[in-house]
Amino acid sequence: MHELSMAQAIVDTVLDAAEKNNATEVVEVTIEVGMLTMLNPEQLKFLLDVIVEDTLLENAEIIIEDVPVEIDCRGCEFTGLANTDGSDHYLAIVVCPECGERNVEILTGKECNVKTIKIEKSDEDA
Amino acid sequence: MHKVAEVEVQHDIMVANKKLARKNQRILDKDRVFSVDVVGAIGSGKTSLIEAIIDAVDYKIGVIAGDVISKYDASRFENHNVPVVGLNTGKECHLDAHLVEHALHDLPLGDIDVLFIENVGNLICPVDFDLGSHMRMVVISVTEGDDTVEKHPLIFQDADLVVINKVDLADAVGADDDKMVSDVAEINPEVQVIKTSLKTGTGFNDVIEAINGFINDN
Repeated sequence: MHELSMAQAIVDTVLDAAEKNNATEVVEVTIEVGMLTMLNPEQLKFLLDVIVEDTLLENAEIIIEDVPVEIDCRGCEFTGLANTDGSDHYLAIVVCPECGERNVEILTGKECNVKTIKIEKSDEDA
Repeated sequence: MHKVAEVEVQHDIMVANKKLARKNQRILDKDRVFSVDVVGAIGSGKTSLIEAIIDAVDYKIGVIAGDVISKYDASRFENHNVPVVGLNTGKECHLDAHLVEHALHDLPLGDIDVLFIENVGNLICPVDFDLGSHMRMVVISVTEGDDTVEKHPLIFQDADLVVINKVDLADAVGADDDKMVSDVAEINPEVQVIKTSLKTGTGFNDVIEAINGFINDN
């Protein structure tokens, strides 16, 4: 269960960006979570809702976007979206959709990226 | 009056850990220390395997013992007269690159050839956290059940060496160790899988040889 430490790192990142941009409030946070991470988006969202209390992002809408798995296959020339067997909770096995090879380089799907924030700032700073 | 503005942040928490991990590897490389991240299930024999390796090899070993409460494993390693740093993760279920960096500063790296970093017993969370080690050894045992591999595929996908321990107990616990080997092969066709028993000595020399192979290739 490392969603709590990840949630804290996300909040710290958002607060840092908000302060640098003279925000008076953060109204929206968009986070990208790769499908190969061991992060459960539902748990992450729940914890974020808990720990944002009394911060600039207390009332922010948290948007979590899934990032699909893209691969570079070592068996054939394929580069692109992988087949992931995600039927068993979030544990995906990556397979090349062209040749079935499992020896692949994973290009995307392992991120936990604070992508954008929407902030309010006073007119003088805008 | 307030204005709403959108700010591109693009800060990946995972990348931040990866950057720290690369820094750790540079620290290790500077002192020519080869490091092995040992991950695996609770009670699979990670500590015992590292202890056996310490007693069997000639090179100078150091250990970072990571655990929720690390003093128990750390004191076992201290009995083998090797430099040890215990890392308490407290509530956390894994080591991360930042914790390891702290431990590296407390170790006499100039006097260490091979550093074993024993992770918290967990087949899930360590997947997300590169520590900067040169190889990752996954240790599981038959007593956790022969479906352990298929239930935790991602940890095996990133493994450089897989040890299936306690094979002397396979019959007693009704586990099919060959199935565990073939499950690993299906997830990660490249990785070497070694069946071991630290009780009987089965496979132990193969583990040493495999690690030596990685050291020589580094």
